[in-house]
Amino acid sequence: MPSLSYREKSLYASLLAELIVYGPYFIRHHQQPLNTVAGMIAAVVVLQIIAQSIIAASTRNRVTDERDRLIELRGYRAGYLTLASLMVFGLGLLWMHTAAGDFHLENHHMGIHFLNVFFAMLVIADITKTVAQIVAYRRAL
Amino acid sequence: MPAIRNRIRELRAERDLTQQDLADKVGVTRQTVIAMEQDKYSPSLETAFKVAIALGVSLEQCFQYDGRGKR
Repeated sequence: MPSLSYREKSLYASLLAELIVYGPYFIRHHQQPLNTVAGMIAAVVVLQIIAQSIIAASTRNRVTDERDRLIELRGYRAGYLTLASLMVFGLGLLWMHTAAGDFHLENHHMGIHFLNVFFAMLVIADITKTVAQIVAYRRAL
Repeated sequence: MPAIRNRIRELRAERDLTQQDLADKVGVTRQTVIAMEQDKYSPSLETAFKVAIALGVSLEQCFQYDGRGKR
């Protein structure tokens, strides 16, 4: 079992917290009401605080260096590219549906639908960022 | 083959230093020392100088540049 740095442990904890909370969201694939989305965000925040506190308390050496910062930047780049790609894809779909005339803004479910779509995009981008960082650490960079 | 190669492992062994000892002296993580020793990570100039100083050698004795290697 390779030894993990403080940042790596922290990333694994973040990924685990996100998968535990957001996993059912993607598996069930239902449109969640506003309260459920807010609840998931709160659950992730609470889980992150607990996990990061445990890791910080149990890790003696919490040094971060230039390689950690480089890997962090790589992760943010991967996350940004994912988010931008999803946004372009989503806007393309929106344009196609609008052009086809099957898009009705007056539908009261439309707001919830948009909320879920944008929330899913953010979650996917964030998970991509975390996974990209973990992969960079496992490949030594 | 990487463009920047180093003799950190060899120099460290000669001085009977562990990876953690060197990491503490330089101010990086042990994982970064491992990555440098495996030629998977080329450090910044500042860190390269710190490594050379920690090992008591000049920069050229510790790091070598090979223009034919991939960057």
